[in-house]
Amino acid sequence: MRLASPFLLLGLLLAVCFTLATTIQPRTPAWSDRGKSGDVLKLLLGDGRRMFANHFFEQADISFHSGYYPSIFERREPAGKSPMAGGADAHEAHDEAAHEKEMAFLGQPRDWIERFGRHFRVTEHTHLAQGQEREILPWLRLSAELDPQRVDTYTVAAYWLRERLGRVKEAEDFLREGQRNNPESCEILFELGRLYRDSRHDSGRARNVWQLALRKWTEQESGKPKPNLYQLEQIAVNLARVEEQAGQFERAIGLLELGKKASPNPAPLQAQIEELKAKVAAAATSPKVPAN
Amino acid sequence: MSVILKTEKLRVEYASRELSSGIKVALNGLDLEVRAGEVFGFLGPNGAGKTTTMNVLLGFVHATSGEARLFGVDVREPIARQRIGYLPELTYYYKFLTAEELLRFYARIFGIAREEADRRIDALLKLVELEHARSRSIKTYSKGMQQRVGLAQALINNPDLLILDEPTSGLDPLGRMKVREIIQRLKSEGKTVFFSSHELGEAETVCDRVAIISQGELKAQGKVSDLVAQYQCDLERLFLKLIGYQPQGAS
Amino acid sequence: MNNVMAISGIVVKELYRRKDFYVLFVLTALITLLLGSVSFFNDAKIVRYLKEVCLLLIWISSLVIAIGTAARQIPAERESRTIFPLLAKPVTRGQFIMGKFLGCWLACGVALAVFYLFFGVVSESRGGRNASSAELSSAAATVGTEAANQVDDHDHAGDGIEHHDEHAVLGHRSVVMNYVQALWLHWMMLGVVTAMVLLGSVVLSAPSVSVTISFIGIVGILLLGEHLNKVALRQPQPLQAILYTGYFLIPHLEWFDIRDRVIYDQPPIPFADGGLATLYAIAYTGLFLFLTWFVFRRKALTL
Repeated sequence: MRLASPFLLLGLLLAVCFTLATTIQPRTPAWSDRGKSGDVLKLLLGDGRRMFANHFFEQADISFHSGYYPSIFERREPAGKSPMAGGADAHEAHDEAAHEKEMAFLGQPRDWIERFGRHFRVTEHTHLAQGQEREILPWLRLSAELDPQRVDTYTVAAYWLRERLGRVKEAEDFLREGQRNNPESCEILFELGRLYRDSRHDSGRARNVWQLALRKWTEQESGKPKPNLYQLEQIAVNLARVEEQAGQFERAIGLLELGKKASPNPAPLQAQIEELKAKVAAAATSPKVPAN
Repeated sequence: MSVILKTEKLRVEYASRELSSGIKVALNGLDLEVRAGEVFGFLGPNGAGKTTTMNVLLGFVHATSGEARLFGVDVREPIARQRIGYLPELTYYYKFLTAEELLRFYARIFGIAREEADRRIDALLKLVELEHARSRSIKTYSKGMQQRVGLAQALINNPDLLILDEPTSGLDPLGRMKVREIIQRLKSEGKTVFFSSHELGEAETVCDRVAIISQGELKAQGKVSDLVAQYQCDLERLFLKLIGYQPQGAS
Repeated sequence: MNNVMAISGIVVKELYRRKDFYVLFVLTALITLLLGSVSFFNDAKIVRYLKEVCLLLIWISSLVIAIGTAARQIPAERESRTIFPLLAKPVTRGQFIMGKFLGCWLACGVALAVFYLFFGVVSESRGGRNASSAELSSAAATVGTEAANQVDDHDHAGDGIEHHDEHAVLGHRSVVMNYVQALWLHWMMLGVVTAMVLLGSVVLSAPSVSVTISFIGIVGILLLGEHLNKVALRQPQPLQAILYTGYFLIPHLEWFDIRDRVIYDQPPIPFADGGLATLYAIAYTGLFLFLTWFVFRRKALTL
């Protein structure tokens, strides 16, 4: 009996454990979403991974500036987007002067400690160039891994991959990955359209993608009190250009009208509309050439 | 014979939260004299002040008042410890070292030249019968072996005065006998040995002179034979009498 | 000096016989190599992220080694009572402190040398810097004139900050010099850290408390030290005065962190500045060691 007692106790404990496990297991999915995730990072970090994702996104910007970057104590109100944040037409439209102003955060040293300390930190404002932009990519990849719902990461990385590094396939793959993770994102679709038009020279696919982007925008933004009009303008204007190239002037005019409503500076768009209307009128009045 | 260890009116006080005065007197006016070449037993019950006296002699604790000198030099001067060897009650050595490395380290502290250190290390490891284990790390040693390596380190500088704190405590009868043999041998080489002990039999066997201390005060000091004759009893009874112990049933 | 060297030798021996250093090195190497094996967008030339991660791990490991080793020294000697046979020899407490410091610092130096060697091998195996030697030599002449022009165009009045889009181009010698400077300044900083932690360990005798407080203090200085004056300016009096005093009193360990210069291939810092930083580290190390001795010199050690 003495010898049997420990084994009996062990058996009982095992039975209790098994019973509890089978009873509790079906209830656990209702307790938390975390356990359901197939993503190891989500499982480990929960929503905390978004914080790390932001950190890595910023790290990419730091890397783009070769370490010359304001700390939280030196940061001012953002005067403009960092030139790293390419995406859309932001890069072209980027206000270099505003960026310069923003990055002139060091100012005059306040005391000898600060003055001497500057000999040891990077004090030159530089941007990566000549293919070295690749150095920002690992941070963007990590950011996307940690927060797949952060759309900026995909568009920025795709911009640099495509525009500066000539890696169109990688850019497309990354955007596709972003689209899988964010099926409702019109930014990613817009960037994908740019890739097809500018890098693949495939206007047809670009048009399809932008049309989808426009549909998504309408579904998501039109009902909002403050819709993202900048995004609408970008999609509409670019789509109008593709339609125009395809000879679909009426559609192009309609899209430019839409863009004009969204634009803070509608005059140039109105001029384009007039130009297109003239083309339509000219086409209507010119004699039709019979087909042979 | 010259006096090589001397304390005069040595007083040590500690801050104590338990006492209403806030001060605990660990030693009170202790006068000791140890002469060259003798084996001196420092006897007393637990808490009598033996360890405090050793702490003062070795510079671990500074006396509140009074003087303590080794070879005529104030014990607060490190040079006073150049000619002494010290064996603590329990073994406290770097366990990641081997016996040989430990002895070499202490030899270096005494500024002993490498060849001379090699010679002494060999001789001492032979003396304490640890030649076979010289390259093993100390953490693998038994308690007796650790005590013997302790004795070897205490002798590395060929000291003129050896301070031993309860040297036979925790040892088996064989170990005790070996320690006694070593003490006798050192005496025959003209060394002075100052050791604290509870073992009255041991003190009676090996000591030339003893001092009995209780509650921080010296109760008696002198040759064992003289004290026994003076108080007309054996050392054990004398010890109990001096520390104020009253056996149950005694009137 | 003989006693100091003997005691420091024991400390170094203890470090390499313990597992801490090996564990940290293997961990650093594993993480770095693992990250190095990852292909980002099929581009094998990407190297800076690897440098960044490797240097970060080296910094963390070195702080763990320095703080862990230094904080343990005196309390562990007291706890295991090895201090008694040692101080029963003709060793002063000052020599004891110096020996402990020197041992920890030398041990950190050995560890750093191994770590930086690994870092050098890893970064060079991935191309090291971003341009080959041939590219650099041909680019150097043109960039020199362009950079000069850009400095003229973009110099901000007074602050000496320039803007130019050309990436800093470094020769191989400069890259090596950067590594050496980073290693040297890192080691100097660890001297200050070791001395600070030793002081903490004699004031706070429990090693765990000493390690925790030291780690928080040192990481706090590294992250916030240089910004304390800016934080102070935003505070009302008397907090402003207190923070400003703290700003001038603390050792500015962040100066010794020139990782960004190594990662982003910036030119080495001038030797005069490196020399001044070294003197600064020596002065603070000396101050902390003096304070340690001052606290420890009359401390009662009871068996």
